[in-house]
Amino acid sequence: MTWEHLQRALLRGTLAGRDAAPPPAGLPVATREAAGEIEVLGGALRAEVRRLFAGSFKLRHLDAGSCNGCEAELAALLGPFYDLQRFGIDLVASPRHADGLLLTGPVTRHLEEAVRMTDEATPRPRLVIAVGDCACTGGFCAESFAVHRGAGAVLEVDVRIPGCPPRPAEILRGLLQALGRGPAASAPARATADAGDA
Amino acid sequence: MSGAPSGDLFPLDNALRGIRERFADAVIDAERTSLRERTVVVPAARLAEVAGVLANEWGGALIALFGLDECAEHGRYRVHAMFSMAPEDAFVTLVAAVPQDAPSYPALTPLVPAAHWLERELHDMLGLVPLGHPDPRPLIAHAGWPRGMHPLRRDFRPPADVAWPPRFTITPVEGEGVFEIPVGPIHAGIIEPGHFRFSTVGEAVIQLEVRLGWTYRGLEPLATGAGLTRGLELAERLCGTCAFSHALAFCQAAEELAGVPVPPRARALRSLAAELERIASHLGDLAGILNDVAWVVGGAELARLLEVVRQLCGHLFGHRFLRGVCVPGGVLRDLDDAQQLWLRRMLSDLRADLPAAIAAATGNAAVHDRLAGTGLLARAIARDLGVTGVAARASGLERDARRDHPFAFYRDLDFHVVTRTGGDVLARLELRAEEVQESLNIIDQMILRLPGGPLAQHLGELPAGRWGSGVVESPRGLHVHWLRADERGAIGEWRVRAASHAIWPALALAVPGNIVPDFPLINKSFNLCYACTDK
Repeated sequence: MTWEHLQRALLRGTLAGRDAAPPPAGLPVATREAAGEIEVLGGALRAEVRRLFAGSFKLRHLDAGSCNGCEAELAALLGPFYDLQRFGIDLVASPRHADGLLLTGPVTRHLEEAVRMTDEATPRPRLVIAVGDCACTGGFCAESFAVHRGAGAVLEVDVRIPGCPPRPAEILRGLLQALGRGPAASAPARATADAGDA
Repeated sequence: MSGAPSGDLFPLDNALRGIRERFADAVIDAERTSLRERTVVVPAARLAEVAGVLANEWGGALIALFGLDECAEHGRYRVHAMFSMAPEDAFVTLVAAVPQDAPSYPALTPLVPAAHWLERELHDMLGLVPLGHPDPRPLIAHAGWPRGMHPLRRDFRPPADVAWPPRFTITPVEGEGVFEIPVGPIHAGIIEPGHFRFSTVGEAVIQLEVRLGWTYRGLEPLATGAGLTRGLELAERLCGTCAFSHALAFCQAAEELAGVPVPPRARALRSLAAELERIASHLGDLAGILNDVAWVVGGAELARLLEVVRQLCGHLFGHRFLRGVCVPGGVLRDLDDAQQLWLRRMLSDLRADLPAAIAAATGNAAVHDRLAGTGLLARAIARDLGVTGVAARASGLERDARRDHPFAFYRDLDFHVVTRTGGDVLARLELRAEEVQESLNIIDQMILRLPGGPLAQHLGELPAGRWGSGVVESPRGLHVHWLRADERGAIGEWRVRAASHAIWPALALAVPGNIVPDFPLINKSFNLCYACTDK
């Protein structure tokens, strides 16, 4: 049974870059990405990651009071259709191993201290990327007493990726923006050092 | 069940008669507030006693407990304890007045354990002290909150720029060789924030304490004074992965409040979308379980199926998480014939692929060994704590609001309530896989029988002072939303009880006796939501 299962998966081939549910021609569908959008964005990302981070860009996800919607989209990015790792980007377990933080949620007062501590544990230079409307501005709950108005209230944010939640392609576009205007002074030096180690 | 006169078949009549006879001296007022809800007003001093008998003798299940501040008008707080009288489609709500100058009442928890977290939260939010509560520590507030800060009081003014570092006490476990393992709130992965404190001896967990409240966003008070559009925005964002269920429960509360019936086509599309959400949620949970036992091929297959469903939702309903589909009075999105046909064709692939993936996983001895017997939740504990949803049904409790309190189109649909008796991770996994098949059957029925007609009914002005409740079976269990209109026709109060809120205390009891490395697996098998518990 295990073999049959594996065989089916092998025969199906790699899913990366494919459309999970391509609608038949002429079917009215709501907004969706242009065909091949993921591959275009991913290709550009791969080049930037190679240029700035010697091909390996590691991010630490930090939930600062999100509803779990942004988390679901980040998880989808790591799934078989988007397969973020093939572009040289991965999410790591420890902030000590990260080149940047992906912060979601408005930063609740209860998590403020934990957010600061996680940030302090991330080696410099590091990028802070706010994912989703809540992290960008506080979003739908910005006026609540229990939250801050987004990541910017606690940390200096490099890039904001709006959306509720941002779709996977939108997150990729935001990451590209983050690298495009990345830490110009320090990143190349680091990339050289990494290449030297290898 | 019509025509059967036996008292057992009509838990509501039974309970109401019992309350009148046994608590003749206590009942202040009993009235019918809606087709399926009865309200019984009792003195706060007798609330626990009546609740205890209702829950323990007459089959009531506590599904919500919340308070309202009526100090300005009446000099009192008002407590609602809402009981489901399943299998009958009926609710009994006990209402008690707690005086403003002495804000305390005898706790329900010693007699009704399901009230445990609810009463702690009531204390945090409204400052009502449950006297005799066995565990009166703050739940959401943590100990860092400024003293006397109760966000649901009308006179609450938020402190400006006060940092509230979360501090809390943990029940100590002492003895030779006992170690404490603190985990979280920040976790190593794409996981929501929560703090878990394990007391262990060697590998074995002897106590687990769960401290949530980290993602407290203070959402309930934001609805006060707002219109339904804003209320819906808040409800949909309580939770990312059961956004539709929350929207639906909110809309049902608004519709009951306004006394407006929803057109049949809207009810049908709501059932269809609710099942799509259930399928997506279950597929994600199944993928998580298989990844946690390192059955990567199965995890990847389920992640594939999940993304197919998410894209279907995006293409057909305009949002991958079905936000913006359900609105008070109906739905905003319709499916034409070609779209229905495509949806059916796409889902028929899922019908075949899912059982194959699950059978391959559970057929593997190494996987089976991790799942079977792990994270056992006993039926009695699940019942006493008021557990609903997958967690309840996998422990042999046959509870499903789709059948017990039919909403949307479920009264006219043919489906099974799937149960398992194992109560372990394996039971929860198999149950989800089987429920996906039932959901596919429901969607098929919906597409074959989709009624015509309008998509929404205008709600008009909200009648001042009236209330309504919405009860929905979400992918995780029972969501309860409660709304009351203020005198201007805006939202006066909004209260939410999410399914996960009821299940977290049960999870803490399913872990002791297991080894530490099995915790992530057990946690994933319940896959409870942090954000909609904290609110």
